[in-house]
Amino acid sequence: MRTIFSIAALLLATSPALPHHAFGSEFDANKPLKLRGTVTKWELVNPHSWIRMDVKGPDGTVVNWMIEGGSPNSLFRLGFNKDSLPPGTEIIVEGYQSKDGSNRGVGAKLTFPDGRQLFLGGSAPGANPDDGSKK
Amino acid sequence: MDIFEKNRANELFAKVIVLALLAAVAVLGQAPTKGWAQRTPDGQPDLEGYWSNVTITPLERPAELAGKAFFTEQELAEREKRAEIPRSAEQIAGTIAHYDFHQYGLDMTQTKHALNLRTSLVTDPADGKIPPLTPEAKKRAAERAAERKKMGPYDGPESRGLGERCIVMAHEGPPMLPPAYNANLQIQQGPGYVAILQEEIHDVRIIPLDGRPHLGPNIRQYLGDSRGHWEGNTLVVDTRNFNDQTNFRGSSENLHVIERFSRIDADTIVYEFTVEDPTTWSRPWTAELPMTKIKGPIYEFACHEGNFDMVNNLTQAREQEKAAGEAAKKK
Repeated sequence: MRTIFSIAALLLATSPALPHHAFGSEFDANKPLKLRGTVTKWELVNPHSWIRMDVKGPDGTVVNWMIEGGSPNSLFRLGFNKDSLPPGTEIIVEGYQSKDGSNRGVGAKLTFPDGRQLFLGGSAPGANPDDGSKK
Repeated sequence: MDIFEKNRANELFAKVIVLALLAAVAVLGQAPTKGWAQRTPDGQPDLEGYWSNVTITPLERPAELAGKAFFTEQELAEREKRAEIPRSAEQIAGTIAHYDFHQYGLDMTQTKHALNLRTSLVTDPADGKIPPLTPEAKKRAAERAAERKKMGPYDGPESRGLGERCIVMAHEGPPMLPPAYNANLQIQQGPGYVAILQEEIHDVRIIPLDGRPHLGPNIRQYLGDSRGHWEGNTLVVDTRNFNDQTNFRGSSENLHVIERFSRIDADTIVYEFTVEDPTTWSRPWTAELPMTKIKGPIYEFACHEGNFDMVNNLTQAREQEKAAGEAAKKK
């Protein structure tokens, strides 16, 4: 009985946080991305924030990518603001490319080169790139 | 407060536990003896402030919990513990990978929410399920689907849903249900009015309390037309005059919503709503969820201005059409 309850509880507790639009209409789950580059602009606009970043290809060509992120309102509550991700910051984006194959994608996971997660909660030590401390 | 209301407030409180998740301090057993007595300067019961209606309780009772209306406190604690485990989309069966929910603050670990011993938000019918749709409502759903099919899903902005177009989001109601994130609202009171701002997507409900009649039946609005009055310490809001586009779970423009806001302590409003639409459900139904006090402010949510996804979606649809056209030419 305990096991049954636990399974039920798990199912209940995992209601997914659906984004503002359907993932499948814009991004392609079969086109996973892993990009390393530097931030050129962070647009804190609702319903989704967008990071623009320069990514250097193997041949040295620099391409600007546009990466969708979470709602600015959620990020503000985690302690982020418009100065938290200054141009020039090096980040690694793991996510999925847009369906039309353009240089656009969704950033499922964002990390710094040292492995720290960019948005790992305002309560996580070192989460905020501004001062490396808890918000 | 009359005895009925007092008993009701105590009963409500017995079912609601408020927990500040980040501080991990449970506020238990502080049963109100006289309800919440604080008044606004003009003498209304005070509902003002910033509130979150985040909940992990499903609207309808899951089949495996049939016959069980309440969790025990121990069961609830277990359930909450599981909800606090950081998860990415990949870890949740049945969802398509999009974000690491924890990274973006979209999971429950970083959001203060009121706990609820109920196994469903629906309290009436007693089985915790929304009553079945009437034959008329099923027919209407089929007609709406047929109407949508006349247009391709990405022909233009008009073929996308109201939420994607940033016109109005489904959770705004009324009844007001929590969105997946940014489930924050602000209640402000002035003489003769209560205003409710929901963060997503910045619409304000301005509710007159002066007993004026509803708008004429020919005036229809996305959020309906609300009129409020006080019953003891409870704010009762009656909303009609919906248009036929808001479509709350298959409803028609005949939707009628009665909301009851009862503040039971400094940190909690119990929000109860009854919906009826004889052209949609076989009987009225009622649900209840607690709102918990949060720190402000409410941030702006300029949805339309930043809605790049609309352009992106339509652009990718045109690209795909172009590619399909070129492939057809080659054949």
